Amino acid sequence: MRDRCAIIGIGATDFSRDSKRSVVTLATQASLAAIADAGLAPADIDGIVRCNHDQVTHNALAAAIGVPNLTYWGETGPGGVAPCAMLGQAVGAILSGQARAVLAFRSLNGRSEVRYGAGVQSPGVQQVGGFGTYDEFYLPYGLLAAGQLFALIAQRHMIQFGTTSEQLGALAMICRRNAERTPHAQMYGRPMTLENYLASRMISTPLRLFDYCLESDGACAVVITTADRLKDAPHGGAYIRGVGLGCPPDMKGGMMFPITTRTDMTEVPGYIAAKALYRNAGVGPEEIDVAQIYDCFTISLLLQLEAYGFCGRGEGGPLAESGALNHDGRMPINTAGGNMSEGYIHGMNHILEAVRQLRGTAANQIAGAELCLITGGPLPTGSSAVLRKAS
Amino acid sequence: MGPLVPFIHDRDTAGFFEAAAGGRLVVRTCADCAASIHPPTAHCPYCGGWNTGWRTVAGTGRLHSWTTVTHQIHPAYPTPYTLVVVAVDEAPGVRLIGTLPGAPALRAEQPMRVLFETLPDGSVLPQWRVDEVGVPT
Repeated sequence: MRDRCAIIGIGATDFSRDSKRSVVTLATQASLAAIADAGLAPADIDGIVRCNHDQVTHNALAAAIGVPNLTYWGETGPGGVAPCAMLGQAVGAILSGQARAVLAFRSLNGRSEVRYGAGVQSPGVQQVGGFGTYDEFYLPYGLLAAGQLFALIAQRHMIQFGTTSEQLGALAMICRRNAERTPHAQMYGRPMTLENYLASRMISTPLRLFDYCLESDGACAVVITTADRLKDAPHGGAYIRGVGLGCPPDMKGGMMFPITTRTDMTEVPGYIAAKALYRNAGVGPEEIDVAQIYDCFTISLLLQLEAYGFCGRGEGGPLAESGALNHDGRMPINTAGGNMSEGYIHGMNHILEAVRQLRGTAANQIAGAELCLITGGPLPTGSSAVLRKAS
Repeated sequence: MGPLVPFIHDRDTAGFFEAAAGGRLVVRTCADCAASIHPPTAHCPYCGGWNTGWRTVAGTGRLHSWTTVTHQIHPAYPTPYTLVVVAVDEAPGVRLIGTLPGAPALRAEQPMRVLFETLPDGSVLPQWRVDEVGVPT
């Protein structure tokens, strides 16, 4: 697949606490923006891939934007694992001749309508679980939300490796500093100190408010097609250098909670996705110029730094504090602020920022960026991609 | 708003809750390769056999991780409460969840002991408490 397909268009809505419009409208706006950015019309789109969590179906979006004939559609997994998996599926659809131009999107009113942080709600006594969800082993105990599961993982990382709150705070501040200088980011112009971080209220020990991403309303979309069409794209784009997905040998069923029974709770499946990615892309972590790392929580970001080979196991904390990940460091991350401070579009925003970096149009532009890593996940499966600057 | 109670009629997992109702902690176990399987499945992913069944274990374990929840998101689960992950003795790789009241001081590898909690619908959950040395539970 190496460099045979490319992203030639990107589009997004504003990111906010209340979009005041439907998820279909958000998806339509982001998709039309991406199609226009690619120099195409809706009639040129013949494939749509989506996140399993999206409320917008492929046919609802195709109807809304006016696609005359959809020859390919697909789902790519839940939540943050979807964005990079969408790129992989789009490449597969295109290279197998099932589609010529694929739209990948994510749309959510994640703040004003469906808040993932609210966990599982019930009007009264309610039965939960069964049918391969395994929720019956978790929800009745009050383990209700991802933010509580990641707290258990963070506590375990602290037990194993002595990781500190200050180290998690360093990651939150890196994302915030990048968002501060990114006009479309929700935390634009809003600085945060380590003192602010440490003073933020505890949500689920050891995680504080600012260890959590920014629940948001918004949508993002990209157009993927064959690399030969890059030359006709008015704003250029980026080659899809490689995609890597992975489930570890002790993968567990269910949405996420059964990962508490994985051999090592703090080794995210990114480690096995990374092997596939680096093999497919023909590059290693030392060649990555800039990275957009999935950051539903600070701890998820830290675990993926380890999984994708930027440091050894247990060394994510010292790396976070080293300065290497800052905008002026050796491997800048989450240059628009990420899920933490730009907006939680479930990692789809990470793909847009990767394309901006390789087009040279990012607010926090990294000089000479040629290769950008994007990661997704991180539970119970991992996904990742490397994009390369168009030559 | 009532609590969330387990669906206890799933064809793969019902045996766990049936045993809990009888005051026993059980683990799905492969009779061919002796692997413990959790969450439980009828098929053994370790040896490929179908010869799995329920095995009663002692009901002790070690504290693997925990979090004290301080931000309340469900009215039936008032904060603070502490979620624990317990590595179950005699069942390698099996870890179960429990809920401790309040915000106790805890340490990794602390001994834990099962107890059984009856929920409003009559279903029974295995729960966990710190196993204080010398204090019967």
